[in-house]
Amino acid sequence: MKQGLLAVLSLIALTSLCDTINQLFLKSAIDSLNFTPTFNIIKIFKFIFKLISNPRLWLGFGFSSISLCIWLVVLSKADLNFAFSADSMHYIFIALASRFVLKEKMSTRRWLGTGLIMVGIVFVSLS
Amino acid sequence: MFKKKVTLKILLLLIACDILETALHFFFKKSALAQSNKVIVDLATAVEFLRATFTSPFLWMGLFTVAAVFIIWSTVLTKIDLSVAVPIASFSYILVPLVSIIFLHEQVTVLRWLGVLFVLAGVILVSLSSKERLEQVK
Repeated sequence: MKQGLLAVLSLIALTSLCDTINQLFLKSAIDSLNFTPTFNIIKIFKFIFKLISNPRLWLGFGFSSISLCIWLVVLSKADLNFAFSADSMHYIFIALASRFVLKEKMSTRRWLGTGLIMVGIVFVSLS
Repeated sequence: MFKKKVTLKILLLLIACDILETALHFFFKKSALAQSNKVIVDLATAVEFLRATFTSPFLWMGLFTVAAVFIIWSTVLTKIDLSVAVPIASFSYILVPLVSIIFLHEQVTVLRWLGVLFVLAGVILVSLSSKERLEQVK
């Protein structure tokens, strides 16, 4: 049981990691286009066209497909209510990636929230 | 930039997000559950597991729901601040365990509910700081 839990938690960490990499690719694909929100239909279509011709978008899509496959394996072995809450560990990876990869500013409040999520995942896993 | 007022229409769309989000995880769970007897040891068994799972109609209902949630969520976010939308859309953290108990006959202990509440509080706190960041930029 203990060993099974560890295996499932590692797989959940892996899906969360793939999700985070997907988000980083999406973010970098969108940032590279320098888009400002507009209601101009032609501009919106141009934006969408540039976006789908960006390889980074497809790399992100690839990672999110891998994430789905691992997620299905997790769900075949673990309870849904456990897996769903534990999957919020992507918030932790996103926080770390935002801080150290994208060099974004992280407020105390955001670190506190990320810490609460971590405590929650520990509780969910212990039961 | 700061749209805070939750109209009835936006509230209903956010509740729809909660329900659809819960439904899509239920669908994925149903599709995977049918293959829970399969043991995955190498690439061949993994491929066989995925092949069997992808033939389940539940999986495709799940994928369809993912697309629906994505469209509704993106629409809502053009109308309202993330710091308001996320807390309302996070009710799926409560709905998923409820659905797990009622339809999947899973056990949810008090400690696990406590964990869920911590996660929920954390998610809300993280989303509230998005407003804070925008104000600093401003």
